[in-house]
Amino acid sequence: MKTTKVSFQINNENVTLEVRPYETLLETLRERLVLTGAKEACGMGACGACTVIVNGIPLRSCLVLTPEVEGADITTIEGLRQNGNLHPLQEAFMEKGAVQCGFCTSGMIMTAKALLDRNKKPTKKEIVRTISSNICRCTGYKKIVEAVEEAARKTR
Amino acid sequence: MMVLPKFEYKKARSVAEAVTLYKQQKGKARYLAGGTDLIPLIKHRLTTPRTVIDLKGIGELKSIDRRDGWLTVGANVTLFDLKNDPVTGKYFPALYESLDATSCETLQMRGTIGGNILQDTRCLEYNQSLEWRTARGFCLRMGGSECNVVKGARTCFANYCSDNAPALISLSAEVTLVGSEGERTVKLGNLFTGDGVKPFALEAGEILTQILIPMKKTKGAYEKLRVRDSIDYPLVGVAVSAAGAKAKVCVGGVGLAPQVYDLKNAGDAAAVKEVADKASTDSRPVANATLTPAYRKKMVGVLLKRAVKRALAEGK
Repeated sequence: MKTTKVSFQINNENVTLEVRPYETLLETLRERLVLTGAKEACGMGACGACTVIVNGIPLRSCLVLTPEVEGADITTIEGLRQNGNLHPLQEAFMEKGAVQCGFCTSGMIMTAKALLDRNKKPTKKEIVRTISSNICRCTGYKKIVEAVEEAARKTR
Repeated sequence: MMVLPKFEYKKARSVAEAVTLYKQQKGKARYLAGGTDLIPLIKHRLTTPRTVIDLKGIGELKSIDRRDGWLTVGANVTLFDLKNDPVTGKYFPALYESLDATSCETLQMRGTIGGNILQDTRCLEYNQSLEWRTARGFCLRMGGSECNVVKGARTCFANYCSDNAPALISLSAEVTLVGSEGERTVKLGNLFTGDGVKPFALEAGEILTQILIPMKKTKGAYEKLRVRDSIDYPLVGVAVSAAGAKAKVCVGGVGLAPQVYDLKNAGDAAAVKEVADKASTDSRPVANATLTPAYRKKMVGVLLKRAVKRALAEGK
């Protein structure tokens, strides 16, 4: 089957790729661009481990076809570091020990980043609500919520 | 990796273009909106289109307008945007609550209202990988001879799991459908066939383009039974919308089609109990979801009474 040409911006870099029309964004990120921060856990959109930010909206990249993101602006966890400094969310996740096995972490951070980008002062309830989009099977939500609260305080 | 099978991707810029593209594919195409239902179905090989026609580029389906006594919602409006439109909370509290209860915030930002209505019915024996289903043996709906949940049954018991269709039906919403034969508007409640193989009364290639809700202030509530407070589909969903004493109740999450009941006087506890008992008796849950049929059946009545009570409560 013919490939299709797709151009988009990823972590502030323009890329143009030839992809399969039935290729998911998650496959493109992991296998073509070697951005392995986004993980596949369920592959069915239920868990959020593959969350990346597309045009400001957190999306499950396992449910998005790469041709759909033509012209989009995409941020992955690899794009959070600025000038060698980690993003306050990344710092806070380390400080608060909000990581157990780590598999859900990049999805958690990207979901939280999209929240902080649209709401500078989220309440704890709003953070819990947003973070409940993502599944952590180590059951470590308490520290994750604390880390997002901490990052919100720092970035205010 | 959950890998997709081969298909072509096409992006439509208008409804007419989408309908034409569909026609060219001779029935081997599927329309794609948010993809939160369709992509998992394709991954499981429950549908194997030759072409996927993306509708997200159709600008005319993205707006919410007030027109001639109706709120007109484009099918591409996301659940999140519809929830946050001030009109929804002010006029249609049942819809606000059903949108808020749908899946999780991230999926609400991707899923569209049109796609949510036209989501496929679900069953524990159906929504499985091809390998799983092959090992188990195909059920009636996949071309087998009988239902895999209810032995010997020649009918499908899959559940229609939209949270928002029951709320919209309680609000007497209508939908506009556009196909190669032109445009028609039908009551949303009439969109369901009760047939497991073809749950929607849609012609091949028809597109649900907009949802029309009567612009009337209502009181309302949506009650949802689920195991987790996030991400889960409803195991029972009950929507109530009331204007004055009259209310419309709609039960979803059990069986192929939402069930509608009219309440002449929502304030009359005996009448509410009667409808709750009837709805519970009418419902036919089977062992195809994550809670037992007996419990779900009982909860139909419980949630109905709870929804009516909350809808009519002061301050709503």
